Amino acid sequence: MISRVLAGRTRIDPIVLGSALLLSMLGILFVASATAGGRLSGLATRQGIWVTAGVGLMFAAILIDYRTLLKVAFPIYCATLVPLVYLLVFGERIANVRSWIRFGGFQFQPAELAKVSTALLLAYLFENEEDKRLRPAAFVKLGAIVGVPFLLVFLQPDLGLALTMLPLAAVGLYFGGMPVKWWLVMFLILVLFCGAAWFLLKDYQKERIGTFLNPDKDLLGSGYQVRQSKIAVGSGGFFGKGFRSGTQSQLRFLPVQHTDFILAVIAEEWGFLGVILVLGLFAALLLRALTLAQAARDRGGVFLILALSGMIFFSVVINASMMIGLLPTTGIPLPFVSYGGSSVATTFLAIGLILGVEYRRFANA
Amino acid sequence: MFRARENRRELSRRVEIARIVVGSVFALLATAYWYVQIVRADYYFTLSENNRMRSVKITAPRGYIFDRNGVPLVENEPAYDLQLYRREAKNLAGSQDFAVSVLQLSPDQVRARVERALRYPEFVAVPIAENLRLEEVAAVEARAPEHPEFAVSVSQRRLYAHGIVAAHALGYLAEATAEQIKASPDAYAMGDWIGQKGIEATYEPLLTGINGERHVVVDSHGREIAEQGRTPAQPGQNLFTTLDLDLQRIAEDYFRERVGSVVAMDPRNGEILALVSSPAYDPNWFTRRVTGEEWSRLLSDPNHPLQNRAIQNTYSPGSTIKPFLAYGALAGGLVDPDARVFCPGHAEFFGRTFHCHKKEGHGWVNLRDAIKVSCDVYFYNLGRRLGIDRIAEIGKGFGFGGPTGVDLQFEKSGLVPSEEWALTRRRARWYPSETISVAIGQGPVLVTPLQLARALSGLVEAGRLPTPHLFLAAQDARTGTRLRYKAETKPGIEISPAKLQIVKNGMWAVLNEPGGTAYLSRVSSVDAGGKTGTAQVVGRESGLAAKGKYEDHAWFMGFAPVEDPQMVVAVFVENGGHGSSAAAPLAKALFERRFGKKEPEPSGAGLVRASDTRSAGPGAEHLR
Repeated sequence: MISRVLAGRTRIDPIVLGSALLLSMLGILFVASATAGGRLSGLATRQGIWVTAGVGLMFAAILIDYRTLLKVAFPIYCATLVPLVYLLVFGERIANVRSWIRFGGFQFQPAELAKVSTALLLAYLFENEEDKRLRPAAFVKLGAIVGVPFLLVFLQPDLGLALTMLPLAAVGLYFGGMPVKWWLVMFLILVLFCGAAWFLLKDYQKERIGTFLNPDKDLLGSGYQVRQSKIAVGSGGFFGKGFRSGTQSQLRFLPVQHTDFILAVIAEEWGFLGVILVLGLFAALLLRALTLAQAARDRGGVFLILALSGMIFFSVVINASMMIGLLPTTGIPLPFVSYGGSSVATTFLAIGLILGVEYRRFANA
Repeated sequence: MFRARENRRELSRRVEIARIVVGSVFALLATAYWYVQIVRADYYFTLSENNRMRSVKITAPRGYIFDRNGVPLVENEPAYDLQLYRREAKNLAGSQDFAVSVLQLSPDQVRARVERALRYPEFVAVPIAENLRLEEVAAVEARAPEHPEFAVSVSQRRLYAHGIVAAHALGYLAEATAEQIKASPDAYAMGDWIGQKGIEATYEPLLTGINGERHVVVDSHGREIAEQGRTPAQPGQNLFTTLDLDLQRIAEDYFRERVGSVVAMDPRNGEILALVSSPAYDPNWFTRRVTGEEWSRLLSDPNHPLQNRAIQNTYSPGSTIKPFLAYGALAGGLVDPDARVFCPGHAEFFGRTFHCHKKEGHGWVNLRDAIKVSCDVYFYNLGRRLGIDRIAEIGKGFGFGGPTGVDLQFEKSGLVPSEEWALTRRRARWYPSETISVAIGQGPVLVTPLQLARALSGLVEAGRLPTPHLFLAAQDARTGTRLRYKAETKPGIEISPAKLQIVKNGMWAVLNEPGGTAYLSRVSSVDAGGKTGTAQVVGRESGLAAKGKYEDHAWFMGFAPVEDPQMVVAVFVENGGHGSSAAAPLAKALFERRFGKKEPEPSGAGLVRASDTRSAGPGAEHLR
């Protein structure tokens, strides 16, 4: 099997693979910087292990025929929802949220896996849909596919994580060909829903949104994070302060800097150049993924790539915007780079599936 | 089943649009980062520097205060204070409970401190309690893992080495009030100590020094990582007072069970050698923890321990006024010192009978003997001859009725009545019979003990009134620059030596001739002169018990040696009874200590005692 992969190396896309690997290397490097000398030192090694495991997972995903996976997409989807239900019933709260399952020494966030399985089911759904425009039946199915895991995660309650489900719906609706009129109706409904949701949101969530709208209001509370992050990014300048020389990160002014705010560490220590490097790698990966999608053998493959890369795209944009206060802090990690096993493993799994579609472009099932 | 190449035109087109969207979004993100990192780089760099750099105050050690012989009166000692870092506190209520339980503080105090701190930024440490005992320091340190928000800081605490001794002269320190901080925001901040009353207040600018600063790098918890430089603190100046601890102690001991005041000073230059006001308080109370209860007890004490009786309480001078009137009349040529007045024990003036303190009368007395035996009848006559306005002139000539200019706050002026005063201030005309009372120091004439000591100085110095003061010299520890008090005298009533001699001789006789009112307190080792006084307490005449609260106040003022006076003493004992028995013995003790010919004590603990030789102690050596 391995020899087949190696023999057909032209069929494993080097741009996607290379970007992913480079980003995860950068991640290990800066997790090391962000956790140096503190009680968290050693996390870089763990991140290295996660990346290795993720790469293994990625190759496994390449080797398994995605067409087979699409056929069993629904059982897989249901299987990944089980832990989410389990969490709601038995979950232990970490930071007031039931989104983690513990296995011995490490924790896993099943919502990450659920995203991949949802993407798979979405691809299966759109495989036989017509090209021209989205049918109402497909619209309803799509809503159900994305809505169930969204609701389960939302109830954990982890709004940020739940929102990462929504790009899957957006991908389905857009690429499925939803008419413009529907978009307008959706938008109106969304506005009304937001108005209503304001009454349902928890206080801390309102506070975060309030902080986003007026970050100077509460400089030492939740506005503190955004402000410190902006200071870190801005003070990095063009060339940065040098690896492991960022005052904001090394003196721990940055909040959760090895996970959600890792990009601010890179921005401070490697400056604008570092940011361009990271954003450039993501842009290369995602634009290349779109090319692969166009070239995919079948609609299922196209939608699988689109859903998975849409997921990654959304996370990158939200995370990068968070760093400089363009969006409220929602606790969404930067794929490949932020510390965290669930995120790294599932992102590599997603890459594996994307590469798998390309790998089987000319195969006959 | 072949489904490859089904119709995907529309889908392909949507992907092309998606490609543009993705590219644009990344371009926008890059632009946003460019704005933050390139355009605004300087702004954020400054902020990041402010974040990590902190100035930490180095409190300048406050200058020590010594007596005139270099014996330390006020020093500093290390003290441990509890600080709260709010940013570290998970919940403030829990932190408050911890402080209350570990330190047995009152919950109200802790709450008040925390509330006050809410006005300041979160990274500013809040002083919660001062002067922790070592066990308490250990208790806080032991629970640091649970309560990282608390830290113990070491600071300098003021130590009044002799407790209540000279409390009123020295003053005390207290935390600067909001108004004091507002008045000089550069010099004082919340939690800083500032001199209140006494020398501590008057010479605050000399004593306080200039705080330094350390520039440190801190982490997000405010923990110090490294120091990047410092401006050292400039210590306050050491201050030498005119006080003589030996004399001060003798006076304090005398007043342990009495209420009153004593001032001993050098008539030549106004240097105050001893200043006592009793009851006193321990200034150390204020730098330790004064609870609200202690504070209110201090304030509600009927004897007002916080009041400095030497300058803040005014009393009738009683017979101590007599030598001044004699002096004034002689200097003005208004009395023949040899002319005699017959004292039958009483006299009639303006249709009213005035009694002499000696019922059976003194017989024929001249001016000198009138002073010696304190004959009231003689002075009734003298008073009538002078009239109230001339008496007022004499009184003002000795500095009564106005502040002495001593270097202490809140000095009272006292009162010297005159016809004008009666009309303008009292709004009731002056009755000539009142003049008769004023002539023996009763009626509406009021003086402070310090005024009396200063007036006596003026008398023995033939009219030159010295300005009393406690400041002797100061030395800047850093530059060595010395400051000395520039002694000044105010011109009073001039007199010829011969006439002065008559008054002084009368006062000498008070102590040294049988029949003198203070003969029992005569000083063996030195020729001393003096005058007793008894101030009637209002209400006594209304027939109430002549004991305790309504007992007369006792006065004694004295000077020595008679030929070349070097020390004057004014003693006031509230409800002490007669001046000769209640007040004069202290003056005698002070004169004996100062001029006594006893063998000098072996100097203990490396301190040179100043009892006999005026050789300087170790501190005074610096002044040479």
